[in-house]
Amino acid sequence: MSIQMRRALSTAVCGVAFLWASAGQAAEPGSPVSFVNDISPILTKAGCNSGSCHAKAGSGQRGFKLSLLGFEPQEDYEHIVKEGRGRRVFPAAPEESLLVLKAANTVPHGGGMRLDPQSEGYRQLVRWIAEGMAFGKDSDPKLTSIDVEPKRMTLPVHSSQQLKVTAHYSDNSTRDVTPLALYEPNDKSMAETDEAGLVRTLDIPGNVAVMVRYQGKVSVSSASIPLGATVENLPPSKNFIDDLIFANLKRIGVPPSPVCDDSTFLRRVSLDIAGRLPTLEETKAFLASPSPDKRDQAIESLLSSSDYADFFANKWTAILKNKRDEASDITANFAFHSWVRDSLLANKPYDEMVRQLLAATGTIVDNPAVAWYKRVKEPNQQMEDVAQLFLGVRMQCAQCHHHPFERWSQWDYYSLTAFFTQVGRKPTSTAGEDLIFHKRGIAQTENKKTRLPVKPAALGTPTLEIPPDDDPRLRLADWMSDKTNPFLAKSLVNRYWKHFFKRGLIEPEDDIRDTNPPTNPELLDALARDFTEHNFDLKSVIRVITQSHTYQLSAMPNEHNAVDRQNFSHYYPRRMQAEVLLDAVNQLTGASSDFGDLPPGTRAISLPDNSYNRSSPFLKVFGRPESSSVCECERVQASSLAQSLHLMNAADVKAKLTMGNGVAESLTKSELPEPEKLQQLYLTAFSRAPTAEELQVAGDSVLKVRTNAQGQPLDPQQSKRMGYEDLLWALINTKEFLFNH
Amino acid sequence: MSRRGFMQIGLTGMASLSWPGLLRLRAENALKPNSEKTAIIMVWLNGGLSHVDSYDPKPDIGSEYRGPFKTIETNVPGTRLTELMPMQARIADKFTILRSMYQKAGGHPAGSMQLLSGDPDERDKPKPKLPDWMSVAHYLRSKDGKRTNPLPNYIGVNPPLEYNGPAYLGESYAPFSVNDDPSRPNFEVPNVGLADVSESRRLSDRVALRKSLDKMERAFDKEGELGALDDFEAQAVTLLTNPQTRDAFDLSKEDAVTRDRYGRNRWGQQLLLARRLVESGVEIVTSALNGPLCSRTNNWDDHSVNCHIFDALRFRMGYYDQAVSALIEDIYARGLDKRVLVVVTGEFGRSPKIEFGRSTGGGDASGPTGTLQPGRDHWPRAFSNIWAGGGIQTGGVIGSTDKRGEDVTERPCGPDDFLATIYHHLGIDASKVTINDFNGRPTAIVNNGKPIAELMGKAV
Repeated sequence: MSIQMRRALSTAVCGVAFLWASAGQAAEPGSPVSFVNDISPILTKAGCNSGSCHAKAGSGQRGFKLSLLGFEPQEDYEHIVKEGRGRRVFPAAPEESLLVLKAANTVPHGGGMRLDPQSEGYRQLVRWIAEGMAFGKDSDPKLTSIDVEPKRMTLPVHSSQQLKVTAHYSDNSTRDVTPLALYEPNDKSMAETDEAGLVRTLDIPGNVAVMVRYQGKVSVSSASIPLGATVENLPPSKNFIDDLIFANLKRIGVPPSPVCDDSTFLRRVSLDIAGRLPTLEETKAFLASPSPDKRDQAIESLLSSSDYADFFANKWTAILKNKRDEASDITANFAFHSWVRDSLLANKPYDEMVRQLLAATGTIVDNPAVAWYKRVKEPNQQMEDVAQLFLGVRMQCAQCHHHPFERWSQWDYYSLTAFFTQVGRKPTSTAGEDLIFHKRGIAQTENKKTRLPVKPAALGTPTLEIPPDDDPRLRLADWMSDKTNPFLAKSLVNRYWKHFFKRGLIEPEDDIRDTNPPTNPELLDALARDFTEHNFDLKSVIRVITQSHTYQLSAMPNEHNAVDRQNFSHYYPRRMQAEVLLDAVNQLTGASSDFGDLPPGTRAISLPDNSYNRSSPFLKVFGRPESSSVCECERVQASSLAQSLHLMNAADVKAKLTMGNGVAESLTKSELPEPEKLQQLYLTAFSRAPTAEELQVAGDSVLKVRTNAQGQPLDPQQSKRMGYEDLLWALINTKEFLFNH
Repeated sequence: MSRRGFMQIGLTGMASLSWPGLLRLRAENALKPNSEKTAIIMVWLNGGLSHVDSYDPKPDIGSEYRGPFKTIETNVPGTRLTELMPMQARIADKFTILRSMYQKAGGHPAGSMQLLSGDPDERDKPKPKLPDWMSVAHYLRSKDGKRTNPLPNYIGVNPPLEYNGPAYLGESYAPFSVNDDPSRPNFEVPNVGLADVSESRRLSDRVALRKSLDKMERAFDKEGELGALDDFEAQAVTLLTNPQTRDAFDLSKEDAVTRDRYGRNRWGQQLLLARRLVESGVEIVTSALNGPLCSRTNNWDDHSVNCHIFDALRFRMGYYDQAVSALIEDIYARGLDKRVLVVVTGEFGRSPKIEFGRSTGGGDASGPTGTLQPGRDHWPRAFSNIWAGGGIQTGGVIGSTDKRGEDVTERPCGPDDFLATIYHHLGIDASKVTINDFNGRPTAIVNNGKPIAELMGKAV
């Protein structure tokens, strides 16, 4: 982006640059203009109350503060009419009101012109002031909902569709608010919207949703953007996932890639379930097996391995903030990591695991799950984490204002927080470790805005009266693990779907809301149903996903589906995550990593907490998280210059290539014929045999006579050893190695 | 770029922009040649420089406050500095002193986080919650378009890293760090221009072999994020093998007079390297002046338990004055003064009232354990920093403090103003840009600050 342009621009506008010139829906000519129903929407549409302008946290702009997106019309009214020594509005000469002068940029306004004097919005504002600035009467109709039409649409690529938004009021009246509503697509690479509600599709096929907002109400219009290619030769369906994915692909005309070969499958599924490459032996046995259900067998064997528990414990402990801040945290962190790992190994039902964690009492010694309460201390933090982790709902915004894209209000925020207000703690003989217990009393918290006490209520449910002896957290756990709970199962299957497919059915995976619909809603429902029907069996989710042909599709795109990024028509390759990549490099080179106080040979995937990142530049540069966020996005999967430099030239990687007794040395010394050695390397790195051409290129490179700095040929053994080092280097740096594909 | 393009970024947060979206934005923006892009060098005095002993002297105050240093005239009539900085006094017309800086955290971690990331939290915490301005600038600049210069765009020459970092932007936006002492004769920068020709040739052979063996190309979405990997790999190979990249770090290419002018010591050569890097097209450079040149505790944290503050200042200020004055002079002499902004600051100042305590250990500028010696404690309520280049009007003094230097009396500037000023120089409107945090919440890069008008240059 041009910095210069941006600067020039930003001096002129503030937030949504919108000069509302079109004819909006005016108040009925006879009835007075109401602040709530008429003026507040105009201010919202003009961007006055956006987060970067007058709704900026704290002070607004220049002492003039409005509530975010007009969620608090009463306060806004006070600020406009009564503050600023009354100069903001001037009924005797409405157009001389500061509010009007600023909005039209007649006097200099940091936000530039927001309302064109020719616009209907401007006229309404002036009329409102002239009429004496009515807030609106209690008897005025209240906005109850909004509707968008069309609700569902099918739009070709590069096409457009005008939306229409209707507001419904308590007196059953309606109003067309299309020009006043706000529009936002959930994937801007797929569709764009303009201020007037025109949706334009771009060139990527799939499903996109446009969120429509008007005065605190939201609605969604979903567009299906077909590619329109002929879809035939679908792989046979293995289960409901294939049924629903393939049905969607047919509907939008995106042909899937074929099912991948055995080598690709084994490598992929081992990396995804067990966080490691298959061993040479596993690969050989798998490729040689004639069994028709060998893929399902491989899945079972991986699921029952301890590597599965290691890998998923690594995933969960990071977002459960198993973080070493003090050296003394080691006891709690090791215990907590073991608790998670053992729970996974024993395949403890997910609802049970969540309940044990959420309602943990006791000490770190008798119940390691309490460690989470050590990391997350404040009730509102505990609530925010639980909501995002287990419900896929991001409540943070609702702490200070009504959630801008959600139905959750501050009341919801504090009533969910109230479940955590009776968590008691007492110091124990272990320094820094508290005893966690239920503190007798009525659970309630204070709504920071209204200053009123709030009792516990789960999302979308009425307030609970909980006797002082009952631990409110158990009531929350009851609600969460009810099979009809709309959040818990969906959130988990979406998180796991992303684990295996790179992209959630909802993105981001922990931002489930009405205004962010899944790309394949039927599939998300079916996965959640399957999970609850299996009594929250985590392995069953993994099983059904990895057994599907959808999961087993090749990463190689065909002539049509390369543009697809969300319909799962082919496998989306991902760079191996930091720990897995380090272990894989070790496996290929015959090296191991040394992690301080842990036994030699400990793999990166089984590290109990984040403290080992400090001593491992490899883990740090490839983005192993510091366990400080509940979001998996803390893990950096983006590539960087530092990563490329590290793989090419870092001391630790170089040492692995050249180490004594490493693979380069042992292959140099080995009596095996060179092609067999190359075969082994390829099977280890890629789980496949080399092609004839690769054998030729790699063999020539290994055997090439190398020279020293003076140009003299090196001793053949030394030259060959360098040859293997170079080959290992080259293999590690291929995309085929770095990526799970 | 179009207004729409800007709005999408401003409103939804850069971090949430999809890659194809970014590519589209990129395509909409003609690339500017690198030479036109502004750059910045921040010199960091971790621990906190005593403002009353340097840029905001209070010679007429009582002895429990007054240090031993006399004040001297500068080449700007009316502006006086302490005698510790004669070289800067001679070029006081080339920088502006901001005497009314303040922030609200008394600890090193929170103080650093306030100043570098704009986090208003007054409590110390081990890791920053918000990205520092350097990472933010690095991130935003990386969205400007493909960089043709193989040098990393954010380099830390002994960077401040303890209490700052990229937070939710991710490690990709951390600095390329040069940690070796550039004044050492065999100074080496890892991963830059392999010195050994045979090593360089071997790397080229390896890269060629890798290319002939990599068969997965077709599976990768070249338009997508994975395309970025190819760019980074190419940049890494250039950095490693292109002798020109080595040149940017090679101080032996500087003439002896210049090297002497900065001072043949760690600080001097750090700042010389910083200047050499911005001249080579690096846009964000930081350099912390710390280590043994500071005195016993290797930083500017001059409590009486750590050192005898006045001995410590005598010990270090010569190196400091020489290096900083050389950098400022050089920026102007080489015509970099419009493009490159130089800012020198610590996280806070030091208490105007002198405290006495017992040394916890002997060493440079500290008496043996138990010696009673003077020190000054942390002081965030008022402190000074200096600004040069960046097309700003220099030679001025902004703001003032009370007679003791304890509180700002005129033109208070907080961390947000500090950050907005830096962003302004970099062409970033801090009042508009938000970046999504881990929770997807659009987070302003500056909460409420305004660029300090006197420090807003007419950037190129």
